[in-house]
Amino acid sequence: MNITLRMAWRNLWRHKRRTWLTVGAMIFSNLLLVFMISLQFGSYRMMIDNTLKPYTGHLQIQHKAYNDDPKIRNSFAGIVPLAASLRRQLNTRKIAARGVAFAMTSSKTRSWGLQLIGVEPEFEPLVSNLPGLLKQGCYFSASDAAEIIIGTVLARNLGVTIGDELTLLGGGRDGSFAAGIVKVTGIFESGNNTIDRNMAQLPLAYFQSLFTMQTHGHNIAIVAQDLTRVSALQQRVNKLIANRPELVVLDWNHLQPGLKQAIQADLTSAWFMYGVLIILVAFSVLNTQLMSVLERTREFGIMLALGIKPARLGSLILTETFIMSFLGLALGTALGAAIAFYLSVAGFSYPGMEEMAGKFNIPERIYPSLSLLSIFIGPGIVFICSLLAAIYPAGRLFFLHPVSAMRAV
Amino acid sequence: MKRLPAVLLLCLFSSPLYSAAPDPQTLIQKAMNHWRGLSSYSEMTMTIHRPDWQRSMSMRSWTKGDKTSLVRVIKPRKDAGNGTLTKDNNMWTFAPKVNRIIKVPSSMMSQSWMGSDFSNKDISKSTDILDQYQHKLLQTREQDGHTIYVIESIPHEDAAVVWGKEIITIRDDYVMLEHQFRDQDDLPVKTMKARQIKQLGGRTVASVIRMAKVDAVEEWTEISIQDIQFDRDNPDSLFTLSSLRNPRQ
Repeated sequence: MNITLRMAWRNLWRHKRRTWLTVGAMIFSNLLLVFMISLQFGSYRMMIDNTLKPYTGHLQIQHKAYNDDPKIRNSFAGIVPLAASLRRQLNTRKIAARGVAFAMTSSKTRSWGLQLIGVEPEFEPLVSNLPGLLKQGCYFSASDAAEIIIGTVLARNLGVTIGDELTLLGGGRDGSFAAGIVKVTGIFESGNNTIDRNMAQLPLAYFQSLFTMQTHGHNIAIVAQDLTRVSALQQRVNKLIANRPELVVLDWNHLQPGLKQAIQADLTSAWFMYGVLIILVAFSVLNTQLMSVLERTREFGIMLALGIKPARLGSLILTETFIMSFLGLALGTALGAAIAFYLSVAGFSYPGMEEMAGKFNIPERIYPSLSLLSIFIGPGIVFICSLLAAIYPAGRLFFLHPVSAMRAV
Repeated sequence: MKRLPAVLLLCLFSSPLYSAAPDPQTLIQKAMNHWRGLSSYSEMTMTIHRPDWQRSMSMRSWTKGDKTSLVRVIKPRKDAGNGTLTKDNNMWTFAPKVNRIIKVPSSMMSQSWMGSDFSNKDISKSTDILDQYQHKLLQTREQDGHTIYVIESIPHEDAAVVWGKEIITIRDDYVMLEHQFRDQDDLPVKTMKARQIKQLGGRTVASVIRMAKVDAVEEWTEISIQDIQFDRDNPDSLFTLSSLRNPRQ
């Protein structure tokens, strides 16, 4: 241990209580930062998952005009074989082809406009969670069955239950009339009112014949192992469909542009509060170190008179601050991570969560998301700001005159 | 299918206006009455044009009074038998494929009618322009020996209408030359224009009418009238759900 470090260590414990108070402020703020940031990241992850799961998926292959202009004509041919070859080449089953159309849906007594999704019964449950949210009934028996699953709100609006027939009326891809009678086999409840009211799924082959689509469809949804691998997967898919210039691969951020913006807006306002917290901690460090420099003016005067360079004294002060900040970082992060880890297993909820959860489409319990980034970004910034705050007290030493310093009160 | 363009196509026969500044409400009223007659029967072709495709349908239409009409598709075979019945602002549609009559819900009224650029509302609510709008004569001009009136129609505050303003151009023989639909920001959205005017059924009418989106030049729907007969005796039994389902004509 070199002499500066040893002196810094001893200096710190000359005022135990003061040092612990300052370290305590850092521990508290670090703990809070680790906890809040993990919680935030966790809720963002859930928001993304819950928004993308019912339908969107992580990536979609579409006709290049479809995203801006979702018309039935903006489809592409051979969608089922393309999805099958992608499943083979990417070695994953989480790829499903779909068709999308709008139609008027009528029960005996009521009619509603509706978005119809033609899906592959075998693969759709792997890319979206609607098939798993069936409250009543079951999923499709075959890809060409005249069957439909609808949401709870729509079922109530139309006054139908399992086994009832619905009449679909819309326009086919060639502009002709599309009309069919389908049997309700399942009713799902996603909790998202818009989906439960406006969306329904049919088997893809039946959908294609109903809307005169031939082999056409509108999107192939792909789900990656997790969010971090989406862009790598997108590049691979891009290469695989390079021979189909009419197609594009879009990631969830393009498909649901509001989602990332909502997250960014929330993050920005949160960072404003974190900034206040961090600045307060930095000022408390500044206060402590300035006091400890001022009260040692005579001591520093003597050391200067003995021939120690001001730079050496400056580094002594910085080392003291470093040790303090490091203590705060280590203890605060450890405590914060421990709490966040516990909650990431047990889940976390507070009064009034249900309403907010419904609004932002997240479940009622949130699970903080722990990662190196979410743990260290807040405490890291506190650490750096504390060191910066020590520059002023340390800098004062360069303007100390040994003789007057020794006589200072 | 006469009701459909009725909103848009007003036309009339003879009897030019004498007064220098006619009442715009009366102008529209007369244009509509004369386009419709007390009742009518017409045969027409509707062509839907898109940048990459186009299709035509032949249709027959019967009307009676202001609020009753029946339209039935004759050709192509695939779509034959599809029909629409309008009565007092209610609309039903029949699809032979599923052999069902469906009442069109109000939430679907602004959707496209039979895949065209006309909305269900364009087809069914043709008299709204008379009782739910405030009219103002914007301009009077002479052209090809006719006097042309340009009328601005603004819907009442409480009218269930998506448009902010409509501009209607009527010739002095009550042929409606143009009908432009503008949104709340006063930007034109779609325009219906008479592309051909001729004598049909004893009246001068717009025989080819095109509805076009303003921001998409290649998207339009054209209705061309082959034959029209006015003041025919259309029995009430024609405008019933059972007649919609089982054509007897």
